[in-house]
Amino acid sequence: MTTVAPDSNRATQDGAQHGAERSSTSRLTGQSRALRSGPGRGKALRSATRGRPRLFTSYDQDSALLNTSAKRWWTLAAISIFLVLPFWLTRDLSHLLSVAMVMAIAGVGLNLLTGYAGQISLGHPFFMALGAYTGAVVAGVPGSIVIGWEFDLSIALVLAAVIPGLVGLVVAPLATRVRGLYLAVLTLGLLMLGEQLFKQWASVTGGSGVGRAGAVPVLFGNDLERTYAVGPLLIAPHVSLYLLCLTLLVVLAVAARNLARSRTGRAFAAVRDRDIAAEVMGVNLLRTKTLAFVLSSAYAGVAGCLFAILIGRVAPEQWNILMAINLLAIVVIGGVATISGTLIGAAFVVLLPRILEWLAPWLPFVSTGSGGLITVFQLESILFGALIVLFLILEPRGLFGLWHRVRTYFATWPFSY
Amino acid sequence: MTEVQHLSRQLRAAAAEVPDVVALREKRYGLWRDITWADYLHNTEAIAFGLAALGVGRGDRVAIQSENRPEWLYADLASAMLRAVSVGFYPTNPVAEVRYLLTDSGARVLFSEDQEQVDKALEIIDEIDSLEWVVYLDGRGMADYSHERLVSIDELISKGAELRDRDPDVLARADVGREPEDLVTVIYTSGTTGPPKGAMLSARNVDFGAATFGRAPGMFGHQGLRQNDVLVSYLPLSHVVERAISTWCGVRNRGLVHFAESIDTVVSDLAEVQPTVLFAVPRIWEKIQATVTIKMANASWVKRRLFAAGHAMGTRAARQQLADGTPSVLSRVLFFLSWVLVHRKVRRHLGLARVRHALSGAAPIAPEVLEFFLSMGVLIHEAYGMTENTAVATCSYPGRVRFGTVGEVQPDIELVLAEDTHEVLTRHPGTFQGYWGKPAATAEVIDSEGWLHTGDVGEWVEESYLKIVDRIKDIIITAGGKNISPSELENAMKASPYIREAVVIGDRRPYLTALVGIEYDTVADWASRQRIEYTTYKDLATRPETVDLISGVIHEVNGKVARVEAVRKFRMLHKELDHEDGELTATQKLKRTAFAATVPHLVDDMYAGTAEHAGADLGRSG
Repeated sequence: MTTVAPDSNRATQDGAQHGAERSSTSRLTGQSRALRSGPGRGKALRSATRGRPRLFTSYDQDSALLNTSAKRWWTLAAISIFLVLPFWLTRDLSHLLSVAMVMAIAGVGLNLLTGYAGQISLGHPFFMALGAYTGAVVAGVPGSIVIGWEFDLSIALVLAAVIPGLVGLVVAPLATRVRGLYLAVLTLGLLMLGEQLFKQWASVTGGSGVGRAGAVPVLFGNDLERTYAVGPLLIAPHVSLYLLCLTLLVVLAVAARNLARSRTGRAFAAVRDRDIAAEVMGVNLLRTKTLAFVLSSAYAGVAGCLFAILIGRVAPEQWNILMAINLLAIVVIGGVATISGTLIGAAFVVLLPRILEWLAPWLPFVSTGSGGLITVFQLESILFGALIVLFLILEPRGLFGLWHRVRTYFATWPFSY
Repeated sequence: MTEVQHLSRQLRAAAAEVPDVVALREKRYGLWRDITWADYLHNTEAIAFGLAALGVGRGDRVAIQSENRPEWLYADLASAMLRAVSVGFYPTNPVAEVRYLLTDSGARVLFSEDQEQVDKALEIIDEIDSLEWVVYLDGRGMADYSHERLVSIDELISKGAELRDRDPDVLARADVGREPEDLVTVIYTSGTTGPPKGAMLSARNVDFGAATFGRAPGMFGHQGLRQNDVLVSYLPLSHVVERAISTWCGVRNRGLVHFAESIDTVVSDLAEVQPTVLFAVPRIWEKIQATVTIKMANASWVKRRLFAAGHAMGTRAARQQLADGTPSVLSRVLFFLSWVLVHRKVRRHLGLARVRHALSGAAPIAPEVLEFFLSMGVLIHEAYGMTENTAVATCSYPGRVRFGTVGEVQPDIELVLAEDTHEVLTRHPGTFQGYWGKPAATAEVIDSEGWLHTGDVGEWVEESYLKIVDRIKDIIITAGGKNISPSELENAMKASPYIREAVVIGDRRPYLTALVGIEYDTVADWASRQRIEYTTYKDLATRPETVDLISGVIHEVNGKVARVEAVRKFRMLHKELDHEDGELTATQKLKRTAFAATVPHLVDDMYAGTAEHAGADLGRSG
């Protein structure tokens, strides 16, 4: 360096070097630091900000969960509709909706692992079973074989998340070593091991073919199996269970959505898209994959606990490969790596049989009693399989992708891009 | 005469009255950063102290070569604080022009935006003695740069801070004794005929110009410019109009000015900001129209049909409004239907959803373009002015728009047409102080009675509306002795989305011909839809299919004019015209005489009756 930086006129060679270095580093920053400006520093007239939804003056605005007023209104509307729905619907329909919400919780958990972090898992029912039995043991009544400690449901729910989470933590180191097909096979092995374990461990599960009841829903001392009157409202047992499921679903879905937009969520996506590239970028693979496993298992545990309460009695054979495929279907049909898609997917998968039942009288090839080509259940299986294949080929982002297309179609109106 | 308001005092007043209100917003890394009036003043003062520390004082020139960004405004107002004179260069000015401008203006300090501009400055810094310092705003890529006269903006500010510690009253002393005749800026005019000339504008000129820009009712509609107006600064700040709107009216009327992230993101930034007033040159309006045309051509069948239907309704209503002045009941219904169907969304995509007043100026605009925007409910108002009269002369008032004219004379402005030549003459307090260092050139345009000779030929329409025919120097007199205004023909051609440049030739020739440059993006898109294969610009421009396409456009234009004005032949240009190659001025205007001389083979090909180059002969009747 022959010339001297202008702000160091001191004669010594050292001083000149130092000055040059100092100015060089300040040059690397690009923008001026001495000039004042910043996000959200000042007030602007309302008329100068209104109606400009995409003008973001802070990152909080930009990355908000509900960053447009349309989203805010629709979310609010959806939640209020689902809050009043059980008071209108028949008992069995609101029960069905509760099941859908529980499956949605499990689906959200699986989507965190499979959709966001890209780790295919067929072992999800195993963790649901862990949650179900944890709940049943902690808050269930003891029987002739089975044990039950009759604690409050709040404790049971927490433990139903913690125990599967811990087991997930134990399993994770194995699972993080493999990926893709191998991981699918590994988790399948886990499922089989679990099935054997649950069949044998009768003091917890009731044993093969017998099963046991789920946790008794006594939440914070309130027995949810009794009917309560709040003002003019009568809250029947199925309504309180519905509301419990809805609350947990909203909380857990928002938490998952929040996680997905965070640093952790971005790490998940990086691992999914290319684990080697993610590692090069400084993402700790082991930690990220483990976290995905633990979280997903905890979600499954809560779902399993609620599932057992809703169904009433669960047998060890229930947590099988079919359930795993059902869960994957929720994720795939709803939309990989979307929370709202999972909710739609769960509703779709759980409600489809009921809808087919309604439609059956108008479908000539379906038999309701005797005669006809196929039964409703057969049609359901066929439709299910066909839908998974079709979605994977035509719309990999699932129902959410369909919705996204519709939205884009009108958002870009009258252009196409 | 009212008292002249100085820019720096207006800035101080705003910072004192509304310190927390946002004055400017700049987009960085996708986020709009606020700059309040207090910040605006703070930043400007910091740079003013820095300039004072470099020895800049009254009457010294400070040059700025940068894209639009807040620092441009700070540097501009900082020199105004010191009663120095700011000089704006275009970022596209090539080294040779920068050398000329620096030598001509004698600037002591040059603000260079980034590596690209610093490279230009460093190439010539040792040849120009008057240039003492080069200050850069963005240091990316310059870690290794070292020159004893090169400082960063932060180094400048820290020098200023040292000076402020020693002598905090520098700015206060400089502020004492301001006069209306103080030079505020030298604005170089584009110079289509010779080297650029620096127009000197005084504090009184600027004050009058800004007052006229912001007047209510005036150039920006019934309300004029107000505090709740939202603007996007994207035209070059070295041009008088953008300076007047962003800087001068900014501190006077306190609108909220947004700076796009870069020149490439202007389109999406416009859609985010949704400005309330929008000034654009015809080239930009044409470009927006072309964008819509391309996007629609690529849209799905249903969308195309619905757009065509909505657009047809809007166009029908627009035609009626153009013919009768005010929209009829039927037109209002049609406007509403087309708005619901397509135009509400189209305007939102283009950033025109909240535009309450749209302006066009600096060059004539084709009626087809005006009609296109009116069909979506955006009425473009034309205004007329030039650097030499601080860009104020006439404007179209809301509700009194006559298409094809540049509107009516504004208050406090005298405007007449010379008796023999019909040249437009103006006289008002905005008339400039003369060309920098060129008294002879000044004497040519300002006569003894103070009239400014604009060099434009005008005519009155319906008594009070001014129509600009053309530049005096550009009027073509054919061998048959007929006077023809080339720009009208050229604009009609350029209204086609496929034509970017059109140069009509015919001075002292038997008939008119034209050189045509295609709009590359649009024609490329058209070609891909026609499955025409091509490689380069030249290849695409000279394809027989492209020539046919252009023939069709010119044929249509010929159909609308008298036979003697019809373009008989044309040839395709083989390259895109460019500022850096000397064909266009910094404001994208064509240097006519200089240009025709660079392509004699094309011109000769037309008049010699040969057909060696791509083009077509349209015959006698066009």
